[in-house]
Amino acid sequence: MQLVDTVMSLLSLATMGASDAALAGGAASAHQLGAEPTKMGPLALLIPLLPLLSVVLITLCAVFKVKSKLPAWITVASLATAFGVTVSVWQQVSATPGAHVSFGYEWISFSWGNGVGQSFAGNFSLYIDQLTCYWMLFVTGLGALIALYASEYMSHDVGPGYNRFFTAFSLFVFSMACLVMGDNLLMLFLGWEGVGLCSYLLIGYFYQKPVAVDAAKKAFVVNRIGDLGLLMGLLTTFAVFGTIEYKEIFKAISTGYTSSGIALQGHWSGIVIPALLTAGAFGKSAQLFFYVWLPDAMEGPTPVSALIHAATMVTAGVYLIARMFPLYTVDPNLLVLSGVAWAGAITAFWAATIAMAQFDIKRIMGYSTISQLGFMFAGLGVLTTTGATFHVLTHAFFKATLFLCCGAVMHGFAGQLDLRKLSGVMWMKGWGIVGVAMLIGCLNLAGFAFTAGFFSKDMILAQAFVTPDTKIIGSSLVGWLLLLTALLTAYYTFRVFFRVFVGPVQYEPGDEHHGADDHGHGHGDHGHGHGAAHAPAHDKGHGHGHDGHGHGHGGEFHPHAPGWAINFVLAVLAVASIAAAGLYFVNKDEHGWAGHMMARSSAKFVAPGEHHGDHAAAGHTAPTDEKVADAAHASAGEKSAKDEELGTFLGQDPHKVMYYVSGVLGLIGIGVAFLLHKQGRTQAATSPLAEKMLKAPIFGTLAPHAQRKWYVDEIYNFLIRVPLLVLGHIFHIIDKLFVDGLVNLAGAVPVFTGHSLRSSQSGVMHRYAAGMAVGVGLVLLLAVLVMI
Amino acid sequence: MIEKLQSLWPEITLLTAACVVMITGQSASAAVRRLSWSICAAALIAAGLLAYSTTAASGHALPHMAMYGKIVTCVVGLLLLLMVAGIADRAYEAEVARGKTVFDAIRATRGEFYAFFMFSLTGLMLCFGADDLVWLFLALELVSLPTYIMVATSTSKNASMEAGVKYFFLGALGAATFLYGFALIYGATGATNLVQIHSAFAAQIAAGGLNTIGIVGLILAVVGVSFKIAAVPMHFYTPDVYQGASASVSAFLAFVPKSAGFATIILLLSTVGWLPSSDYPSGALPMPVHAVLWVMAVVTMTVGNVLALLQTSVKRTLAYSSIAHSGYMLVGVIAGPGKGDDFASSGIAAVLFYLLVYGVTNVGTFAVVAAMQRQNRDGTHSEADRIEDLRGMCATNPMMGWTMVICSASLLGLPPLLGFFGKLPLFSAGISGGHIGLVVILGLNSAIAAFYYLRLAAYPLLESPDMAARTSNPITQVPVTGRWLAGVLSVVGVIALAIWPVTSAAKFGATYKTKVAVPGGQVAQGK
Repeated sequence: MQLVDTVMSLLSLATMGASDAALAGGAASAHQLGAEPTKMGPLALLIPLLPLLSVVLITLCAVFKVKSKLPAWITVASLATAFGVTVSVWQQVSATPGAHVSFGYEWISFSWGNGVGQSFAGNFSLYIDQLTCYWMLFVTGLGALIALYASEYMSHDVGPGYNRFFTAFSLFVFSMACLVMGDNLLMLFLGWEGVGLCSYLLIGYFYQKPVAVDAAKKAFVVNRIGDLGLLMGLLTTFAVFGTIEYKEIFKAISTGYTSSGIALQGHWSGIVIPALLTAGAFGKSAQLFFYVWLPDAMEGPTPVSALIHAATMVTAGVYLIARMFPLYTVDPNLLVLSGVAWAGAITAFWAATIAMAQFDIKRIMGYSTISQLGFMFAGLGVLTTTGATFHVLTHAFFKATLFLCCGAVMHGFAGQLDLRKLSGVMWMKGWGIVGVAMLIGCLNLAGFAFTAGFFSKDMILAQAFVTPDTKIIGSSLVGWLLLLTALLTAYYTFRVFFRVFVGPVQYEPGDEHHGADDHGHGHGDHGHGHGAAHAPAHDKGHGHGHDGHGHGHGGEFHPHAPGWAINFVLAVLAVASIAAAGLYFVNKDEHGWAGHMMARSSAKFVAPGEHHGDHAAAGHTAPTDEKVADAAHASAGEKSAKDEELGTFLGQDPHKVMYYVSGVLGLIGIGVAFLLHKQGRTQAATSPLAEKMLKAPIFGTLAPHAQRKWYVDEIYNFLIRVPLLVLGHIFHIIDKLFVDGLVNLAGAVPVFTGHSLRSSQSGVMHRYAAGMAVGVGLVLLLAVLVMI
Repeated sequence: MIEKLQSLWPEITLLTAACVVMITGQSASAAVRRLSWSICAAALIAAGLLAYSTTAASGHALPHMAMYGKIVTCVVGLLLLLMVAGIADRAYEAEVARGKTVFDAIRATRGEFYAFFMFSLTGLMLCFGADDLVWLFLALELVSLPTYIMVATSTSKNASMEAGVKYFFLGALGAATFLYGFALIYGATGATNLVQIHSAFAAQIAAGGLNTIGIVGLILAVVGVSFKIAAVPMHFYTPDVYQGASASVSAFLAFVPKSAGFATIILLLSTVGWLPSSDYPSGALPMPVHAVLWVMAVVTMTVGNVLALLQTSVKRTLAYSSIAHSGYMLVGVIAGPGKGDDFASSGIAAVLFYLLVYGVTNVGTFAVVAAMQRQNRDGTHSEADRIEDLRGMCATNPMMGWTMVICSASLLGLPPLLGFFGKLPLFSAGISGGHIGLVVILGLNSAIAAFYYLRLAAYPLLESPDMAARTSNPITQVPVTGRWLAGVLSVVGVIALAIWPVTSAAKFGATYKTKVAVPGGQVAQGK
């Protein structure tokens, strides 16, 4: 019956939107944690359903063996429409205060008693507040743009591969929508697994390449470890709260008691659940020990790297923590958040050091993604969900731009990604837009003053110093580490730009004769073969080898300048990256647009123990504008710190000083990169000052090790894989000798029973009849025995 | 009287259709003969709609069960109707079409076959709606008598004849047993109406305990009906009959008599109710009945599963699996309606839902056997019934191969397929009723069952086709649309009902509101 209702209401969407808008009234107000969410029309259901429709249509394309760009256009159209719907939903949500729930249908609703906590509900239902809208706006928007880019980028694969690519692409957006929009942890988990699956499928898109298959498997396995944490977090949440629905969890947190009467204050779950969820977030967002899968994931087609492994999926961890932020702030010591801050800062620094020494420009972008994700986690940790989510948004735009520029280079130069083999790309004919877009992306990533990346990074850096060390352990140290990382970031970003995009025009094509995404060999050689950085002579020899290879393909190589789709998407993204800076000045009193959105969602920071008062206020007084401003301050960590000492940056107000400090650091980084990689460089392979630097005592010894990624893969191999393999062999022997015996024994019991019972099935009718009669007799005997 | 007739519109529709197809099936015109199938389908759809819209007769013990049962009968009945298409007269009609013979109504069996099919479904509906022992007995026999003939005439082979005869004689023994039980119940209470029996039993309990004759009557009745549900000790016939009959008819046997049997058991036991006791706070049956059912449930699922392990024939495997599933469902019967208002603690609701789940899923597995044929050395065809025949079917015939894989996985209870959502309430009802030991045995049996269900799933999916055997005995698809279509629809049901609001589907027909009599209370609290 619900099906019919849903379909009917979907059909009457046009009128629906109008009536919903009419219902919405009153000024926007702060998000009241635990307040009953407003019911909402089914319009929002279209956001996940449109990509799903696209999956179905493209599957049909695959069945009918379509050999055109149709799948791309289906994807672009469905995602663009989904974006339009998201905007409209966002308008509706902004008009009415609080969270909204759009009910799809009852999927699993189960109870085994009427008592509290004796039921389990996991519905296909959407929880929509400003955080949801915020995320979905860039997921669907970027998704549509990147699909358009991919329509050209993947054009050499038109046919089955093209269909497969776009099916997985649409399925990814569907899963991401479930992850972000679901109103319970079960939907989040399914979306989480769904994006993991799509990521696996797309990393392994070139399944004939062993490197890609290995990378896909690595990503899958590493993510499983994190997912175990998430799953355990989900189960623990259910065990403690008796529900997995956000609204119920938030209600319990706002009252301080779960529905079964457990007092949350000081309860173990305040640490355990966030810690488990954080493990899941670390896996998906490639933090700390889990980051190893993300660089390898660059084996996937570049649009995938841009959408999934830079802009959207890897930020799911940030989303999870922002969504469950009330749960993280139950613990009065904020222990888990301290851990998150440190993990983020360490990851940011670690990945930046590796990025400085890589030669594969796409890998550099991969490491920089890990590093920037570290910034976001540090932001969450130091209690600025606003800074973290704003950085998610700006990063989504500029990192997508950067990846797509790298992709354009790769597409044009036959898979060439080695920064020693490309130079002056910007000056080549038809590469202007790519060059300019790259410059804009690089400026953002480097935190150049007044770019969007500058403002978002600045919020995190400043907050790290504002948040007192008593609240988040070592918060100011986190700030210093992040500042240092910001310097490194500016350097490695412009290292790429000065080497590849400016300077003398010089190039050497990659292994792929026509634009296919294969750079496995090239990478394998540079990454593992030999630390070629400080051995120019050797490197030249290597280059010649490639030349010979190029001739082997026959004919002279001409770079293949990007077409309209790639140029258009790059232009749009570059403009968006610049425009994102403007969002910082919208709603200035609430720390920008991101702050405005977060203050109206569950990501709002409320100090431990204050949830209750908050809830009471919701019941009695109408929310006022002061309240909003107050909440915004709270999200910047100020409200809670009213009676505490605020942190400072060398005795200054961090919010004021940080603009100058990080701006100057960005300039220094760029300047160093200019000196080392632009100044006096006459060829693609080397630059005079960089050579000198590599001969300097400290850098010279460190760089090759950094280039080998500090041997983390080898260490993991040694510490985890080898022992596991050995253990595996030992267990195999035990299994063969002992367990198999037990299993066979256990299996033999039913089989033996079966054999002995088999004689009863003789096929002779009168024996059956006798058996039945004896059976009736035995049953009656049993009854008599019981009665006596 | 009029009111009662009004509640019987679905049955009347089916009965009318049965009479009509007896005539159309014998018509001299081939077009009219072919119409028989469509008449049955139309009648089933009409009956389903009628069952949905008519209200149950007042005074019925379990009005919601009646409504739910009739709708399920029509839904699964339609799937089964697709399966049985082309069983009757296929070879004969082909001869007639080729002009080899002239159509002779005496030789044709189409009319009877469809009529019997519809009669049996009518009986099933009457069972769900029964409120009197005499009615119940007649309804049960109306279910069974046509099936004896359907088994015997389903193929032209001697095995079918043998199966039909076995099924008939053993069925008569079973019927005698439960009729004896009915008689004793009448003797103990002096009533045949279920509501009156209930009041009499309630009076006896109030006066100090149930009459021994009544208890023996109940036990004999339940044991006798266990023939219909293929439970120990009346299970012996199952593998022989399922194997001897054509796969389409076996699928029919696995759903129709089984559902009738469970409806009967639930109706009978509702007369004594599931009384709360200190051991089982959510209610249990009188001790002797409880003990008998407990032993029957455990032995039935275990015997079914262990014997299924040894089979090499798909149909025999499924026959034993059918026995095992009856054992699972008996757990729900033992758990009873539960205390709460909720779906998951009501064992009765679980059983009724499981009937739908099992019916839909089982059609899929049997449809694969029915839809595929293996060519023998002499050029004749036989059903692809050996598990060997499934080898690599996902590669050679993806549609049927995947049907087998998905339906087997669902029968195993693999989440997120429908079978999982069917088994879940059985577990939860057992747990909330306090029958932990029984639930543990149920879990162990599910694990044993995994062995042969995974074999059914792995042969088509993981093995590669045996080319040598395929060239000597090629396996082809039977050119009857209904069979593969039934399989595909079954898969659609298995997936869609699972993704779909599963619990809403279960609540459909308000089965969870089926409150069964508790002595001293109202007989039926249909809410």
